Amino acid sequence: MRFSDIILLALNNLRRNTMRTILTTLGVAVGIGSLAAMMSFGQGISGSVAQSIESNDIFTGMTISSREIVTYTSGSKRDIFAGDKRVTPLDDSALNCMKAWQEVAIVFPEVLKPATINLAGRSTTTNLKAVPVEMANFSPFDKISHGRFFSKVDEPKVLISKSLLEQMRIFIEGDNINPELIDGAVVLPEDSIIGAELEIVTKVFDPDKIRLVSTKGSDLPIKNEYSSLKIVGIVENSSFAAGMFSGGVFLPSGAIDFIPCIDIRNIYDIIDGVDGKYGKYNTVHLRVNDHKELKVVKNRLEDMGFKVFSIGDKLDDIEKLFFMLDTILAAIGTIAMLVSALGIVNTLMMSIYERRKEIGIMKSLGGTQIQIRLIFYCEAMIIGLLGGIFGVLGGILASQAASKVANSQVGGLIGCDIEYFEFSWALVLLAVGFSVVVSLAASVYPANKASRIDPLDALRRE
Amino acid sequence: MLKFFGCKYKKIITFTPNKFVKKLALIRVTGLSKTYYKGENRIYALRNINFDVEAGEFVSIVGKSGSGKSTLLNLLGGMDTSAEGSILYNGRNILEMSEKQLSQYRKFTVGMIFQSFNLIPSRTAIDNVKLPLIFSNYPRRLRDTRACELLYNMGLYNRALHYPSELSGGEAQRVAIARALANKPCIILADEPTGNLDTATSAEIIALLQMFNKKHGITIIMVTHDKETAGRVSHKTVLLSDGEIIKISTNSNP
Repeated sequence: MRFSDIILLALNNLRRNTMRTILTTLGVAVGIGSLAAMMSFGQGISGSVAQSIESNDIFTGMTISSREIVTYTSGSKRDIFAGDKRVTPLDDSALNCMKAWQEVAIVFPEVLKPATINLAGRSTTTNLKAVPVEMANFSPFDKISHGRFFSKVDEPKVLISKSLLEQMRIFIEGDNINPELIDGAVVLPEDSIIGAELEIVTKVFDPDKIRLVSTKGSDLPIKNEYSSLKIVGIVENSSFAAGMFSGGVFLPSGAIDFIPCIDIRNIYDIIDGVDGKYGKYNTVHLRVNDHKELKVVKNRLEDMGFKVFSIGDKLDDIEKLFFMLDTILAAIGTIAMLVSALGIVNTLMMSIYERRKEIGIMKSLGGTQIQIRLIFYCEAMIIGLLGGIFGVLGGILASQAASKVANSQVGGLIGCDIEYFEFSWALVLLAVGFSVVVSLAASVYPANKASRIDPLDALRRE
Repeated sequence: MLKFFGCKYKKIITFTPNKFVKKLALIRVTGLSKTYYKGENRIYALRNINFDVEAGEFVSIVGKSGSGKSTLLNLLGGMDTSAEGSILYNGRNILEMSEKQLSQYRKFTVGMIFQSFNLIPSRTAIDNVKLPLIFSNYPRRLRDTRACELLYNMGLYNRALHYPSELSGGEAQRVAIARALANKPCIILADEPTGNLDTATSAEIIALLQMFNKKHGITIIMVTHDKETAGRVSHKTVLLSDGEIIKISTNSNP
């Protein structure tokens, strides 16, 4: 008996009860569709996150310090000023040494100045951040959608991040935002933001008050210093940008010195008596050319005595997290698939009871146990294959619809559309293959039962 | 010398003139008994059955209901093997055959005809006839030709695409005969083939079976309770009662 004959016999049997076959196939399709959608969701989310992280150079960037870097672990905060016995000063010679390494793409000191900014009648507190002009080719400054990057190292201009504008509830015309949904939102044309003067208020020591503190001990010896700089561009939001580039006001590294501000670190260093011990720079930002080199450079820096923090080496944890997510989603999908497998068992068992006599006739005509079994396997395989194909197609359509709905609801808040679902060819083939395998497995018991039917007993029944 | 080297030397010469050779029976039933239990009671379905069926014979098994006729036929057809004794077909005991060997036997050696026709209702007449050809891996391009030829011989050429429900009893039984003949078996086992048919149609079916027996030399073993017809058409009539052979009568010119 040829395989094509078995397929024809199986198709003939399935066609006989079309509605039942359609319903069983639909059951498999729902099962495999939900499994495929769950897995594609896992893949899509992890893929989107990985892509966003990579495009934000988070895998390649790190922050270096001579001190312990503030990190939050298990809810406890480590002291930034905790003393360390072996301290390597973070100064220009260390910076030059790092610049000479071939793995290093760019390295520059992180200079932050806390400030209050005023724009269009709105106010917020943020950090002024120094950015070297070489950063023009690096994320997030390589994709400035509104305005431009700095042209000179000491150009007295600023870039403002979109997230900071949103924090002040200032939105740009043309962005996919409904201002009616946000309290106090104002939508401005791009022209009125770019070119506008940004008022920057920083804190400086007030010599007059210092005298008063010493005599009366009443007020802090600090006063406001007002500066005003023109905005030249808006830095796009990036969902996964870390630390330094997560948002704020950016100034060219040569221009930030023009803004006076108290250096808190220096005060504490003076109090602790460790002034100069840690070197000229508090923290340094370093980017490697390839994220694979991150660990090597990090280890080298740690050997030199620096403290290094990078999101990139948290990648393993992120991967573990996504693996767990994938596993949970796959488990839920598999349960759906198992339910539909029971549907197959039920359909085939019903079919056996209905076709008992027919099986008896086939055996009386010389049909072997294997041939009878193959017919049932083939029926299950056809149900599995059709169910798998329709399930995956349904899964793709449903996930596209869900993706559209999700992006229309939250895409505006994140600032970009996220690919929630990712249907790779491997996933499609895996889903259809899994459907066929599960269907075949579900048919083992019914097929065995059918093949063992006693022809004599079957033919006696009417 | 040969003995010295430890060789066993044996030469068998058999020579039997043809006139002394007893023709080997196609089927030899010896000491066939079948019992089953109903509660604690042991029931004898067949008790020490012995008879031969020669190639090309028309054998009828007659008896009342419950005499064991169909049980005997099912054993002869390899549909049932749980019995004592032996049924030798060409020297091989059917009762000791494996499942695979039994399938081969049912596929190529015997063709079964049933009282209730046992056609598959979802398949047309021609598809029913083609079914044994599928199981025997008959070349696909020749299957239609073979099935059409058989239906034509049965006078059913114009009913080929009809479903069993659209056929009369006589037509359905003729389709069943065509199906039984599909793989060119040497034995046809017919279990009360006229049981569900009127007298005229019964006569047609019996005539068909006789024709295949006489014209093509196919051995026919037919179960019936019509003693008169059996005696008229059969070379040998086996009369069963309560699982035992009462009488074997022969008719040299049926």
